Amino acid sequence: MASVVVWIDEGCIVCDACEETYPEVFHVTEDTCFIKAESRTDGNFDTNETSKSAVTDGIDFEILVEAAEGCPVDVIMVEQVGGDSPAEEPEEVAVEIAAAAGAVAESGAQVSSAAEVSMDGDRSLLILFGSQSGNSEDLCAKMGKSASTYGLEATVKGMDELQIGELAGQKRVLIVCSTWGEGDMPDNAEDLWVAANGDAAPSLAGTHFSVLSLGDTSYEFFCQSGIDWDVWFEKQGANRVVPRVDCDVDYDEMANGWVAEALPHIAAVDGDGVYQEDAVEALKAKAVGGKSVVAAGSAFDLPDLERAELQVNIQVFRYDPVSGESGHDVWACAMPGNLSVTEALRLLKATEDGSLTFRDGSPDDATTGLLVNGRLILPGRCAIADLATSRKGDFSLRIDPLPGYDVIRDLVVDHSDYQTHLSASKPWMRGATRSATQLQQGIMGTMEAPLAATLHIAGDFPSHQLLHSASDTTPHNRQYVGPAVLARLWARCNDSRLSPAGRTSHLAVVQGENGIKAEADMSSINRQGRMGAIAGLALLEAKTATLVADGFTGRHGKHVWWFTETVKFSGQLNETTLAGATLGPFGMAKNALTGILPRMALGFTRNGAPMMRDLQAMFMPPGSVGKMPKIINSKVDDHHEIVALYNAFDRRF
Amino acid sequence: MARYRYAYFPGCVALGSAREVQDAMDGLAQILDIEMVALKGAACCGAGVMKQANWELQIALNARTFAQAEAQGLDVLTPCASCQGNMSEDFARLTEDADLRERVNEQLESIAGIRFEGTMKMRHLLHVLVEDIGLEEVAAKLKNPIDFPVAGYYGAPMQQDGACGEDDVYDPQYFEQLIEVLGGTAINYDGRTQSVGFPGLLAEEGSALKMTASVLSDAKSEGARVMASACPLSHINLDTYQVKAGRVSGMDTDIPVIHLPELVAWALGHDKGRLAYLKTRVLVMGD
Repeated sequence: MASVVVWIDEGCIVCDACEETYPEVFHVTEDTCFIKAESRTDGNFDTNETSKSAVTDGIDFEILVEAAEGCPVDVIMVEQVGGDSPAEEPEEVAVEIAAAAGAVAESGAQVSSAAEVSMDGDRSLLILFGSQSGNSEDLCAKMGKSASTYGLEATVKGMDELQIGELAGQKRVLIVCSTWGEGDMPDNAEDLWVAANGDAAPSLAGTHFSVLSLGDTSYEFFCQSGIDWDVWFEKQGANRVVPRVDCDVDYDEMANGWVAEALPHIAAVDGDGVYQEDAVEALKAKAVGGKSVVAAGSAFDLPDLERAELQVNIQVFRYDPVSGESGHDVWACAMPGNLSVTEALRLLKATEDGSLTFRDGSPDDATTGLLVNGRLILPGRCAIADLATSRKGDFSLRIDPLPGYDVIRDLVVDHSDYQTHLSASKPWMRGATRSATQLQQGIMGTMEAPLAATLHIAGDFPSHQLLHSASDTTPHNRQYVGPAVLARLWARCNDSRLSPAGRTSHLAVVQGENGIKAEADMSSINRQGRMGAIAGLALLEAKTATLVADGFTGRHGKHVWWFTETVKFSGQLNETTLAGATLGPFGMAKNALTGILPRMALGFTRNGAPMMRDLQAMFMPPGSVGKMPKIINSKVDDHHEIVALYNAFDRRF
Repeated sequence: MARYRYAYFPGCVALGSAREVQDAMDGLAQILDIEMVALKGAACCGAGVMKQANWELQIALNARTFAQAEAQGLDVLTPCASCQGNMSEDFARLTEDADLRERVNEQLESIAGIRFEGTMKMRHLLHVLVEDIGLEEVAAKLKNPIDFPVAGYYGAPMQQDGACGEDDVYDPQYFEQLIEVLGGTAINYDGRTQSVGFPGLLAEEGSALKMTASVLSDAKSEGARVMASACPLSHINLDTYQVKAGRVSGMDTDIPVIHLPELVAWALGHDKGRLAYLKTRVLVMGD
């Protein structure tokens, strides 16, 4: 009679899968898996790798095999031995296993042979949306984020953001288009559609595509725009990788189904533009975290989500509130490059220093922000390989608390500066009475799509606490409400749903003494990636509106006004006129008395600049700047062109 | 013909209160065989101030400068980080926004007979030295090593995508590499990419001075004996307003601050007297 042996090889990752499958046999410990004593004839409790004791009667062989097959790292070994024909039954199992392995190998071989063309190189994907109400745009934005799972570098564009000729040469294009009215293109797709049907329409041989069409079955020309684009792409010679899907008003399920098919199929277009259909299943498996069946070393290898191990010096700011001591601890570590900063910190805390303190949380937790190598980030969202910088061959990662806040301990800061300014600004929406429209869902207030999109973008920050830190002014002026509160209030001010009283209240903060005028230099905000660019633009608009509302009076107004005015005078900035007009006689005298003038005039601290250069400063007050008054300031060549541009773009000056 | 040719945009300050920048640029250009082709009639870049009144006006003025450089087939070279940052922002805006570009070009064509096409690039001296000329070539021409610790100051405007060449936006290294090549010890300090608040100097002086003091004090505490600024505008805060910044903030801010072009020109043999003066000050007189 045959007996069954089960044991655990080295390499268990303690994932618990086997214990969940067969808890009577497997018990997962902290570092490996044991075969339970009550399931073994020798009554021991270990991996059974050495003794290879048989299992007791009543242990189900099939469930054991199921557990073995479910092991993600294949360390569960199951063997039938002994009995009347000891050689036969193990052989059957061996044959079975060999057959399974063969199937996998065959599958891998198929994929490998079908995809011998290199998948390196161009992995770009163009995602185009034709959108009227924003649904297509939202879908495309989500799809753009998912595309990286398949190793694609997606660019999401509205149909009004590209010229028809730009489609030529694209290897991968996915289109989501809604239909408006009686089969019409949405507004942002109209021009492109006209161009597509003109003489300049390009040939799209070599382009692979698929279309998702959004519509409403209650209309006669259901999904007509998507149909039109589908037909057009085919007519131009493009290859459809997935059939078009036409969605009704409740489009979520169908759209998700299309995305789940379209992305792996379009990802199977290799770097040379060849569609490797056999690779699709492997791509799907890879994307859901399954084991890739692509043979190791195959030319067809997706960009791996797992990154190479990184030897990195991690420098972490430490602050002990009890002793008041602060400094940086440095750890030289080898870590997988795909670890997020949060994961790296967790690892350091677990293995190196349990007292290391930082805000832990989900990747999107807005309060977890840190400054890493000078960059403001949410640490759960950023891989260390993307942040580490190399100096003389060594990778380094310097992790500091967010600037502009008081540090509580190590990397944990007190956000109350931001919170206090936010609550004091009363940022909530005070709705205006406004007209509404009868929709299918009932009577609802509506908003023009472009305005809705603008408002959405204006508030699309990963973390307001992070944005508050982006200004280099906030650490030095705690009264300043900061860019995060200002950006939020300014977006509200532009919201048509806000009541006049609400707008007045918000503007009072934005345009007040500690509002936008207190920001000393917006460039520190602008440089913080997309978040900074969006906020910087909002703050610039707020500043301009504030200066206009003030009639360019006060120091801020005069500074901007006279700066612009002097450039018109001569083509270049006249520092003397600017300083004089901005500071006024009192300010100039005060400046002269506070050491600025002697410092300039003596040339001492200018490190020996030729005296005549420095003596220019003597001719003019306040001495802080050194250009001749405008009366003798020469004009640049073709100065009339500058004046003409002023006249064309701003006649106030 | 010179080995390297650029359309030269000195910035208003190099022609005004910081003439020493222009002196140094002339010197280093001669040594490194750079031809700085004058952009005759180029207007002020706006320095982050003009756009607060009317960004489109500022963009139009800069588009004119870009178009002048394009007409000569040259990239624009500037020694000023603020000009580099502002003009790069405007360049990006013009290339991204087709409607704006068309509005601006319509006026440029009718007023000056030129158009902006987007073929040129904005280049700061620091990026030209590292990327175009190369640190090896700079090292080969080194005559007077800067043998003391130097803190390079980048400032904020230039450290953004599209304005800082191939250098890292947040953790740049070009300045430090250049200082090492010139014989100095590069000081790595937090303040090197922080703003000193120049656009707010006249209107928000309190904040600007504290920001300035923070940068100076940080560099000093990390061991710098001299600071070199890639931005002549920021240099006004860092140097001229240095004493006042120290007084307002209560921080130790006394440190000689020179311009990046001076650091390079002097190390390459231009104006030995001023380098000797600086060395004397650093070695004998201290702060």
